[in-house]
Amino acid sequence: MLVLDKLAKTYAGARSRSVLRGVDLTLAAGEYIAVMGESGIGKSTLLNLIAGLDAPDAGSIRLDGVELTRLDDDAATLLRRKSMGFVFQAFHILPYLSLAQNVALPLVLNRVAEDEAAARTHAMLAAVGLAGREASMPRELSGGELQRAAIARALVHSPKLLLADEPTGNLDPDSAAQVLALLRAQVKTRNAACILVTHSQAAAATADRIVVLTAQGLREAG
Amino acid sequence: MMLLALCACLCAGARAQDYAQVKPGVALQFPRDAGSHAQFRTEWWYLTGWVKDARGRDLGIQITFFRNRPGVAESNPSKFAPRQLLFAHAALADPGKGKLLHDQRAARAGFGLAEAQEGRTGVWIDDWSLRQTDAGYSARIAAHDFSYALDFKTTQPPLAQGEGGLSRKGPRPAQASYYYSEPQLKVSGTITVAGERREVSGTAWLDHEWSSAYLAEEAVGWDWVGLNLADGGALMAFRIRDKDGRSYWAGGSLRGADGRVRVLKPEEVGFEPARRWRSPRTGVEYPVAMRLRAGELNLELEPLLDDQELDARASTGTIYWEGAVRARAGGKMLGQGYLELTGYWKRLKM
Amino acid sequence: MRATMRAPLALSRAALFLAPLAQHKGRLAVSVLAIALGVALGYAVQLINAVALNEFSQAVRSLAGEADLEIRGPRAGFDEMLYARVARMAQVAVASPVLEAEAKLPGRKEPLHLLGVDAFRAAQVQPALIGSAPADLLDLLRPDAIFLSPAAADSLSLKPGDRLAVQVGLTQQSLRVAGLLRASGRERLGVMDIAAAQLLLGRSGSISRLDLRLRPGADMDAVQADLQAQLPPGLIVERSHRDLQRNANLSRAYRVNLNVLALVALFTGGFLVFSAQALSVVRRRAQLALLRVFGVTRGGIARMLLAEGALIGAAGAVLGLVAGYLMAAAVLARFGADLGAGEFRGLHPDLHADPWASALFFALGVAVALAGSLSAALEAARAAPAQALKAGDEQTAFARLRPAWPGVALLLAGALCTAAGPVGGIPLFGYIAIALMLLGTLALMPRLATTVFAVLPLPRAAGARLALAQLQGAPGQAAVSLAAIVASFSLMVAMGIMVASFRVSLSQWLDQVLPAELYMRTGMGGDTGFLSPEDQERIAALPGVRRAEFLRIEQLLLAPDKPRVALLARSFGGDDPGQRLPLVGAAFAPRAGDPPPLWASEAMVDLYGYRVGQVVQLPLAGQLRRFTVAGIWRDYARQHGSVIIARELYMAYTGDRKANDVALYLAPGASPASVMRAIRASIPGAANVEYGAPAEIRARSLKVFDRTFAVTYALEAVAVIIGLFGLSSNFGALVLARSREFGMLRHVGMTRRQIGAMLAAEGALVSALGLALGLALGWVISLVLIRVVNRQSFHWSMELHPPWALLALLAAALLLLAMFTALASGRRALGVDVVRAVREDW
Repeated sequence: MLVLDKLAKTYAGARSRSVLRGVDLTLAAGEYIAVMGESGIGKSTLLNLIAGLDAPDAGSIRLDGVELTRLDDDAATLLRRKSMGFVFQAFHILPYLSLAQNVALPLVLNRVAEDEAAARTHAMLAAVGLAGREASMPRELSGGELQRAAIARALVHSPKLLLADEPTGNLDPDSAAQVLALLRAQVKTRNAACILVTHSQAAAATADRIVVLTAQGLREAG
Repeated sequence: MMLLALCACLCAGARAQDYAQVKPGVALQFPRDAGSHAQFRTEWWYLTGWVKDARGRDLGIQITFFRNRPGVAESNPSKFAPRQLLFAHAALADPGKGKLLHDQRAARAGFGLAEAQEGRTGVWIDDWSLRQTDAGYSARIAAHDFSYALDFKTTQPPLAQGEGGLSRKGPRPAQASYYYSEPQLKVSGTITVAGERREVSGTAWLDHEWSSAYLAEEAVGWDWVGLNLADGGALMAFRIRDKDGRSYWAGGSLRGADGRVRVLKPEEVGFEPARRWRSPRTGVEYPVAMRLRAGELNLELEPLLDDQELDARASTGTIYWEGAVRARAGGKMLGQGYLELTGYWKRLKM
Repeated sequence: MRATMRAPLALSRAALFLAPLAQHKGRLAVSVLAIALGVALGYAVQLINAVALNEFSQAVRSLAGEADLEIRGPRAGFDEMLYARVARMAQVAVASPVLEAEAKLPGRKEPLHLLGVDAFRAAQVQPALIGSAPADLLDLLRPDAIFLSPAAADSLSLKPGDRLAVQVGLTQQSLRVAGLLRASGRERLGVMDIAAAQLLLGRSGSISRLDLRLRPGADMDAVQADLQAQLPPGLIVERSHRDLQRNANLSRAYRVNLNVLALVALFTGGFLVFSAQALSVVRRRAQLALLRVFGVTRGGIARMLLAEGALIGAAGAVLGLVAGYLMAAAVLARFGADLGAGEFRGLHPDLHADPWASALFFALGVAVALAGSLSAALEAARAAPAQALKAGDEQTAFARLRPAWPGVALLLAGALCTAAGPVGGIPLFGYIAIALMLLGTLALMPRLATTVFAVLPLPRAAGARLALAQLQGAPGQAAVSLAAIVASFSLMVAMGIMVASFRVSLSQWLDQVLPAELYMRTGMGGDTGFLSPEDQERIAALPGVRRAEFLRIEQLLLAPDKPRVALLARSFGGDDPGQRLPLVGAAFAPRAGDPPPLWASEAMVDLYGYRVGQVVQLPLAGQLRRFTVAGIWRDYARQHGSVIIARELYMAYTGDRKANDVALYLAPGASPASVMRAIRASIPGAANVEYGAPAEIRARSLKVFDRTFAVTYALEAVAVIIGLFGLSSNFGALVLARSREFGMLRHVGMTRRQIGAMLAAEGALVSALGLALGLALGWVISLVLIRVVNRQSFHWSMELHPPWALLALLAAALLLLAMFTALASGRRALGVDVVRAVREDW
């Protein structure tokens, strides 16, 4: 479903820095992988390239046969809106919106009808264990709950691909374990592919397979 | 006398023919001529005298009223029009004070606030006045440092100066004034100095003079003296000085105790400085002691006190010395009177 | 060793709060500028006023000299015989009579203050009025000699020996400058002998003033009371230098107006500091929490933030003092000490920086900035550090603005204040009412915003939907921007409505008071010009003149503590005066047996309590005359009061047959130009008269109006514009602070355009609400300005004429500006690597 081919990215500047070089990756639909690597090796850059938020210097990214690198910003955004979901380390639940409004955000952007959106949001919140919390404001929630809401938001529009960037970085181990379990369960339930970027061995262990990003490219973890 | 030029300097703008002129052959008439002569350019009533207080202390008094017709704005119908100006000086020479106390007033005539009456002596500026009374004169002066409430009783008929009241001031006939004196006036009344009221009595001299004439161009100033002689006689002498300090003109009169009057010719009068005094305020030097020659009389004039300088720049615009003097001859007191020294500061403008 | 250890520590502590300041230079600059503007305005007004008062008191002192009491009366003077009576009074040491006139100088706008004095008397009371050592002393008395103050000689470019022409009636009189006065002040005056002045001005028998010096030990109050009892009607004896106070009163209303403008600017500045600091605290919430975690106390945090505010205030204040001084210098050089209001005519002042005033305005600037920082500082200090470290906590920073009752209470108090009368001639409560209404509205803003945004339906479009959702969820955040818009726009609207109403009313008034086809005025630039009875007859008899209505203006002193009241004696050519005058309210026709009618200006109602139908007394030529108030008319020309009576009556009472102005109605076929030519040809000296067609006079009056308000409102506009700049900069900062949010939204699939639309929608919603509220509040404030502030300051009413089109245009412009600002800040925010910002975590 997702194919990266000889992907390379160099940041220009006073000392131009090569971040990614020769990255190849093939991800099947519904596959759940973990990407590990040292700090600063380019994990976030890799996610940005996949999300179409940044353009590579060389190589190609194909999502279901669509070459992302050829899309302009608007097209990439539309693709992202429709086909991708995101979970961040810092949750990024909008403080001024209720949980339901936060979760419904992708549905609104995808112009899902009001009633259907409400139903799907309701179902999604229930799925992540936040049933009945639709009207809660983010500040009333714990970190684990916020991240569960974030997962709900990432999956409510049934994306093909979910990108999770250290989703447990801000959580205590118990919450982290719950969130990871939830994430895997939901991804698998909805048959979405997922790339989990993490430093945590424990987190990575929940994935189908683990790849390590090095200066030379991706390699399968032994 | 005098101070003719002091007022004359105020009149430079007016034309001489607008004023009445001094002419020979006009006899003085009283009381008419005791009053103001508004048609003439200048006029003054000049009272000087020696008085003693109850404790026998000598004091010199001077009260002067000037009238001046400046000759401007004569056609202005305004009640404020400055047709006649009045000035007054008053001074008190008190040896205990060491210097002259003096004050001055100035006003335009009008509104009854300041006037010079015709027909009899009556001249005043606000609360300063000199008025003729049945017995003589009465003066009320409220000066800054002192005040006078004095009566002057006449004891002798007026003394017409010069030729029947026409007093020559120079070689040219036009240089003349009408001039009479009232010597040997008996003074009584009170003088208040620094809140202290002193009953005084003594002898005074009144000069009344009016004219429209200019002083001679050669004249710089003058020396004048009027003395009440101890024997009841009266002596007046003056000289007009030129720029070298010499006599340019002189004159005078001597009335004996018997009433006989001798008019002194220019050559019969001589002033010779005996001692000079310099004013610490103005730096002007005055011959405050004089040797006076008047006919056969040779007198030594000695001031009651040296500092009898009068700074009248605020009213008549000049500085002069006007002081009580004693007259001696060979050590013998002959009389008391006043000496006037002008033109020692600046040449008087004419 | 210890010392060297200390230095970097101290440095780092300073850096703790200097560094954040340095980070937001633009916003900082706007805050500093706003404070500077307020301080500069206030300081400049203070300096100019101090100069004017100083000059004025100097002038009064040299005019009044050592006088203890002075007797004054109508402008035309009083009988000189009073001088003789008063001078004789036992307690009076010296009485110095003075004849005063504003001498008209041909070809010059500014008159010369001409004094006729008796030098002998003046020397004892006002020595400064004596010519300084003239070459010829008699020049003090000569009828053609005039002595000028050095300032007058300077401004007229005259030196001793030159000739000076003065217009009397329609003729020119030539005077010789005989010398200079001893007066060293900067007042422009000329002194003559009093008899010469009486003759010159044709005012024989009258004097304008008597200055008295009492004898030492005299009881001044007793003498004053005794004298007052003896004076004829219309004359007042008062302590010398009272004039000073009366004239200070005269300009006070104008001055207070300017001071209020300065306060508005300062308020704007304080508001900017508040919003800047509030946002700064929001942005630095985590940093501040970190400091708390590291052991900085609550007090320490508050002090740090207050110190920042104080620093902003100090910088602004210093800048403001410098700017204020320069402004004052420029204004004085350009307009003189009265800012062109004509209050201190003839004074040419010098500027001095008063250390006390400087200290006061410095302190004011710092205090305002401190006050602006206070709420943010307290808020930051109160925050629980653990909570603050959590993302999404920004909202609580604004939560405190919510309660509604203080706003309602402020609004009510403001409404109550509008009912109060003036305090010492100053509409103090009117200003307080405006301030309270403004503050009340601002305090209510979060509540209003919540209510209004809550009832709006969520739109479909994602951008607008999110924008509204954001405003509904975080109305407090918007409240700061909203308040800025409401404050700026309401003041703008209020000023706009007031000025427009005034201008329209003035223009209508001019139409009503200028019905004739040609006007001739001798009264401009001095009070010595007039039309003699012969001139009047000749003018009325000209073939092109159908009707001539003559006007005589006199000024009466009715109360010791108030300026003179203008008496207009005019003919109405047989018309009903009630139809001809711009009357306000009901008219009253005197019944048979009632005293003759009089029409009073509105100021007479305010200042002297005149009522329609009331019988009043006016001192005319030393006698009290009774009149019935037949109507109240609007007089935009004289704010200290004026009354109109029939000229025939005035002539009968006073014998004064002169006229100052004439209105000419032309015969068919005659043109203003031809009549003007005919007048010039047939009347000697008629070239010295000013002519005007109504249209010209109208245009000129409106030009003067515009210029007067231009000075005042340019300053206001600058304050408001800086406020709006501050708003946009704060809005920008707010948007920047949301870069992580934008990063997330970009991830979720919002296009840049959608984010832009969201921001524009936010800007539009906030400003639309702000503009609507500002319009409403501004309309209310304009009512307070018109009905309370203007009425109490200047004693004239006006009709409400809101410039709707202009206001709509302005609102549209501001709305666009707000949207543009939002968009621009959004662009800037998206220009930052928002994608990376998402991962910028603590």
